[in-house]
Amino acid sequence: MKEGQLFILSLIVFISLCDTFRELFLKSGVNALNQFNPGNIKEVILFILKLIRTPQVWISLLFGFLSLFIWLFILSKVDLNFAFSLDSMHYVFIALASQFILKEKVRLIRWVGTLLIVLGITLVTLS
Amino acid sequence: MRIFLFLVLSEMFETFHQFCFKKSALFENDFNINSFYDILIFFKLVFSSPFFWIGLLSLILMFIIWSTILSKIDLSIAVPIASFSYILVALVSIFFLHETINLLRWMGIFLILTGVIFVSVSSRVKESTLT
Repeated sequence: MKEGQLFILSLIVFISLCDTFRELFLKSGVNALNQFNPGNIKEVILFILKLIRTPQVWISLLFGFLSLFIWLFILSKVDLNFAFSLDSMHYVFIALASQFILKEKVRLIRWVGTLLIVLGITLVTLS
Repeated sequence: MRIFLFLVLSEMFETFHQFCFKKSALFENDFNINSFYDILIFFKLVFSSPFFWIGLLSLILMFIIWSTILSKIDLSIAVPIASFSYILVALVSIFFLHETINLLRWMGIFLILTGVIFVSVSSRVKESTLT
């Protein structure tokens, strides 16, 4: 593997981690709010107002922007289909984070799926 | 039936915004970032491209449509259908960006696609055993 490719690969790993953090913070931010059952437009607006006052949502947005900026840089360097396929890496990180940080129970079928994604990523990288 | 139309729309916007972002980051010459100043130049170039703004608009539209979909159907059904965008992005890359995809990469894409379907279906299995 060329040195430049290794750099891009580590950037994709980095933005997949950013995406994972984005989702984790968004999930914890939304969890902190009450159950949302939109009945009318007023409740939707109230929900959005509550959402933007939640600090986790802002941290999540920050990771989102960081990931978007680096993503644009990656796209200037490599093929779209290559980068887009490798971006599926965040499924793997989320499965790991769910198991080891959130202590959720990750089922066998999900690990099988995660393994398939890892194999797919390996093939795309080797191609 | 309407939800299916929404899913197709959402996938099209997903693919279209990736295509626009790629277009906005394509420069005549190879761009190298060696200093902080280069980072500013890079984003000045990207932001001055209309493709970036069309892509961003398409991303926002996709987010709205996707939220609507998720309020109607389960994530374990929506994600497998939406993962069709891996194929769509590959096709757009070939036909509009003139990228090449060899057999090994196609195999990788299909493995990822299968994996994503497995991961998302697993949450439905869990829910059905609970009820």
